[in-house]
Amino acid sequence: MIRIDPDLCLGCCSCSNVCPNQNIVRTETQDKRSIHWKRCKEECDLCVEFCPAKALTLVPFDESVPEPEVSFDLVACKICGSRYATEPMLRRIESVLPAESQKDPEGLEWIRVCPTCRRNIEAERATREMVLGRCRKSP
Amino acid sequence: MPVYVDVARCIGCRSCEVACERVHEGLGHVKVHFVGDSASVPIFCHHCEEANCTIACFSGALFKDGERTAFDVEKCTGCGLCSLACPFGVVWTDKIAHKCDLCDGRAEPACVTTCPANALTTDFELASRRARVRAARTAAQGGRR
Amino acid sequence: MTRVLVPTVCPYCGAGCGLFIAVEKGNPTGIEYMRDHPVSEGALCPKGNAALEILRHQDRLTSPLKRKGEGFVEISWDEAMDLLVREMGGAIRKHGPRRIAILASSKCTNEENYLIQKLARLLGSPNVDNCARLCHAPSVVGLNRTLGAAGMTNPIPDIASSQCIFIIGSNLAENHPVISRFIHRAHDDGAVVIVADPRETHTSWMADIFLQLEPGTDVALLNGMAHVIIKEGLFDGDYIAKNTRGFEALRESVKDFSPENVSEITGVSPDDIVRAARAYAISPASSILYSMGITQHTTGTENVQAISNLALITGHIGRPGTGVMPLRGQNNVQGACDMGALAEFYPGYRKADDPETVRYFSSAWNAEGLPLGPGLTATEMIDAAALGEIKAMYIVGEDPANSDPSSRNVHGALESLDFLVVQDIFMTATANLADLVLPGAVWAEKEGSFTNTERRVQWSFKAVDPPGEALSDLEIVCMVGRTLGVELDYPDAASVLAEINRTVPQYAGITRDRLGESSLVWPCPTADHPGTPILHTSGFKLADGRAAIVPVPYRPAAEESSWDYPFILTTGRVAVHHNAGSMTRRSPSLISREPDLYVEMNVADALRLRVADGDEVMVTTPRGETEARARLTDGVKRGVVFMPFHFPGTNILTSEVTDPEARIPEFKVSACKISRRD
Repeated sequence: MIRIDPDLCLGCCSCSNVCPNQNIVRTETQDKRSIHWKRCKEECDLCVEFCPAKALTLVPFDESVPEPEVSFDLVACKICGSRYATEPMLRRIESVLPAESQKDPEGLEWIRVCPTCRRNIEAERATREMVLGRCRKSP
Repeated sequence: MPVYVDVARCIGCRSCEVACERVHEGLGHVKVHFVGDSASVPIFCHHCEEANCTIACFSGALFKDGERTAFDVEKCTGCGLCSLACPFGVVWTDKIAHKCDLCDGRAEPACVTTCPANALTTDFELASRRARVRAARTAAQGGRR
Repeated sequence: MTRVLVPTVCPYCGAGCGLFIAVEKGNPTGIEYMRDHPVSEGALCPKGNAALEILRHQDRLTSPLKRKGEGFVEISWDEAMDLLVREMGGAIRKHGPRRIAILASSKCTNEENYLIQKLARLLGSPNVDNCARLCHAPSVVGLNRTLGAAGMTNPIPDIASSQCIFIIGSNLAENHPVISRFIHRAHDDGAVVIVADPRETHTSWMADIFLQLEPGTDVALLNGMAHVIIKEGLFDGDYIAKNTRGFEALRESVKDFSPENVSEITGVSPDDIVRAARAYAISPASSILYSMGITQHTTGTENVQAISNLALITGHIGRPGTGVMPLRGQNNVQGACDMGALAEFYPGYRKADDPETVRYFSSAWNAEGLPLGPGLTATEMIDAAALGEIKAMYIVGEDPANSDPSSRNVHGALESLDFLVVQDIFMTATANLADLVLPGAVWAEKEGSFTNTERRVQWSFKAVDPPGEALSDLEIVCMVGRTLGVELDYPDAASVLAEINRTVPQYAGITRDRLGESSLVWPCPTADHPGTPILHTSGFKLADGRAAIVPVPYRPAAEESSWDYPFILTTGRVAVHHNAGSMTRRSPSLISREPDLYVEMNVADALRLRVADGDEVMVTTPRGETEARARLTDGVKRGVVFMPFHFPGTNILTSEVTDPEARIPEFKVSACKISRRD
C-alpha cells in the first residue's frame, strides 16, 4: 500500500503514469491538480522507484488508513495567466538549474512563464530586427 | 546541428508543423509563432550544449548524444519536469514527453526537406552565412532591409 | 513487406509539386518527398503534407447515390446509368442538347477533361466550361489577345533569375508556397521585390516596395506605372518597334495617369508608384506574377491586359528572368483549359465559334452535329438554370454551390434544374443538391497527366484503388458517354493522351512514353521537341508576329461603399486551406490550424464598432449575411475587410456581376456592413 509524504510530493504524476493498474488517479481542473492514491495490494514498486522526489513508500496494507490525496493550485503564468505547473515542480526546476541561467537576457524569470509564452518570447526576439526592416509604407 | 531557421525566409505556411506531426505519428515537435502581422518563425529545439531538459530529467530519458539532445522514451515517466525546464518551451509532455529528435532514421529532418520557402537547414555554415548577410544589410541600411 | 513509392502530382494547387505515395499491400501508408522535382525540389506545403488524410477519409463517396426525399439511397452503377439515360437522355431528347450543360473539373486529369468536353460536344451541347471561369478566365482571354498564348510565360524556377519581381494580386506565400523559395533566391542575388495588395500578407513580408492599393484600382496603378515608364523614357523602344503594335495608343491613353492622379484613385503614394515603375523598367530582367487579385474583377480582362502592356513596353518578355506569370490555382486548371473544357474554345484553344474548328473536329472525331459555340460559361450556366433555360446539368469535381458568388442564388438555380448529376469524391454542398451522385476517384487512385501553371505536363501514377465502388473519373465519363449513346471507348488514360497528341497541337509531342521519363512544357509540337519553358522568345503567335499593346481605361469596381454598406469586402485564401474547402476542411491537420470563418478588420474600424478580437460578428452585403469571427489587424486599411473563401459563408456575400468578356464574377469587391452579433 502506498504512503505519500505530501511535503515532498511535486504533483508531477509520474507515479500515476507508471502504475500498471490505474491505482493512482490524477484529476485536473482549470486551476487545480489532485492526485489520489487508492489502496492497492499490488506488490510492484514502480511508483516508488519512479518518483522524482522520493515521496512515496510502500507500507503494509491497512484498511483503516484513509486513501491519501494531495491537491495543488496550479501556478499562473506571469505573462498570460494560464495555469501550467505546480509550485513544487517549479521550485524543483529552480533548484536544479544554475542560478545565473534563471533570468533571460532581458531579466525575465522565465521559469515562471508558461511554455507557450516562452516560445512567443523566443519568436519575438528572433524576428525583432527583421520586423523593423519589413516594408510597410514609404521609407 | 539543430534545425536552423532563416527568419527572413519563413512564410508562415506551417508545413514544418504538419510534416513533423505526420512523421511522428501525430506528435509534432515544432510550433510556428506569429509576431503581430509582420512575421512568423518556427520555434525548434536548440539541442543545447548544456541542455536544461537533461539536467531536470531524473530518469535519464533525456541525455546528450554528441550534439543531439536525445530522448529514450522507455525511460520516461511523463513527469513533465523537462517541459518546465526548457527555456524555449519546446519539450512537450502529455503522459509521456516528446521533443525534436532531428528525425532520427531519415536522411534529413522532414521539416528541412518540406519547407517550401527553403528556410530551414541543419547546415550551420549556411545558416550562419544567411544570418550575417541579412544582419549586414540591416546594419547598412540603419535598420531597414 | 515491400514498400513501393508511387510518383504522383499533388492534387491541390497549380504549382504541381511531386510527391511519392508509399504503398504497402495496396494501402497508402505514407508520403515521401520528391527531391529531384524540378519545381518543388522535395518541398511540400502543409496541404501536400496532409494529402493522405483525404485518401481513405470516412466521408468518401463509395457508391452511386439516388435522391430520395431529403437524403439519398445507395444504388448500383447499372441503376445509376438507367436513371441517367432516362433523365439526362430524356432532357436531351425533349429539349435538345443545347439545353443541357456540363461542368468539367479542374482537378481531374487532362485525359478526363478532354473526354468531358468531347462528351458534351458529341452530345451536341456547346455548354461545357470549367472553374477557370471563376479564376483565370481573364488571363485566358486577355493573354491570348495580347500575347497569343494563355499561360505562364516562364517556368517557376526561372523566377530566381529575375532582378525585379512584381507581385500584384497574389498571395503566393500562402497559395503557391513553393514559389517563395525562388523569390528568396532572387533576393539573395540582389533582386527587388515589389508587392501590390490591398492587405499586408505573408507575401508582402518579402517586399522591398509595398503598394497597398484600394481593392479594384489595379488598372489605375498599372497605367500609372506605364505613364512613369513612358514619360521618363524607360521603355524599350527597340523591342516595341520589333515585336509589338499599339504603343502610340497606349502612350496617349496613359497621359492622365500621373502619379498624383493615380495616388488619388489607389491610395498609394506617388513616390511609391514612381519607385516601383522605375525599378521594374530599369532592372535587366523583370517579371510580373499575378493571380486572383487581378482577375476576379469586372475589369479582370482589362487588368490582365494592363499587365501585358507593362511587360511589352519594357521588353521584359521572352527571356530568362522576365515574363508575365498568371499563377493558376487548381492543380489542373491549366490542363482543363488546354483540353478545351471551355465555353469559347475547343481543344488547343481553337475558337468554338469558328466553323473551321467544327470541321476539324468533325473529322478528327469522326462525328456529326458538333455544336458551333460559344456555349454558356460556368457563371451563365447557373443563371440559365435559374431561368429554366438549362434543364439538366452534369457537374464533375466542382462545387458551384460553394465556389460561385451569391450562394443563395446558386442553390436556387441548381434546385430548379429538372435533373442534376454530380460526380465527386465527397458529399459537397453541390452534390447534396443532386438527383444522382456518382463517386469519383482522387489523384492517387487513378493515373493521367496534369498540367501545372507553368504549362508543365506531368504524369501522375496510380497508387491505390478507389474505395468501395468508386471509379476513376475517366471510367465514369466513358460509362456516361456510352449510356447516352456516344462513342467514348478508351481502355486507359494513355489511349486518351494518344488522341490528345493528335488533336491538341501544343501537346503533339507530349507522349505517354516521354512523360514516363520526365515532365514536358508545352508547346511541344513534335515527338523530339524538348518543350518550351520560355514563351515568346522570338515573336508572338499573333497576326504578323507582333504582340498587341491594348490601352485600358480605368473603370472602378461595380460596387462601392455606401452609407448602408460602408466597408469593402475582399476575399482570398490561407495556406492551410484550398478553395471551397471540401478537401481541406475534412483534413484534421489542416482544419485544426484554421477552424473557423473569420473576417479581418482594421483595428480602428473595429474599435469604432466596439468589436473586439474574437467577437462573433455579422457581415452583410446586398446578397445576404454570414457570421464570422472578427480578427483585428493593422494589415488592412480602414474601410477594407477580408474573408477567406474556404468556408461556405463567404460566397453568400459576394457579387455575381461579371467581367463582360471573360465572364468572371467580381469576387474581390463587395460592399458590406459589419455588426456585432449580440
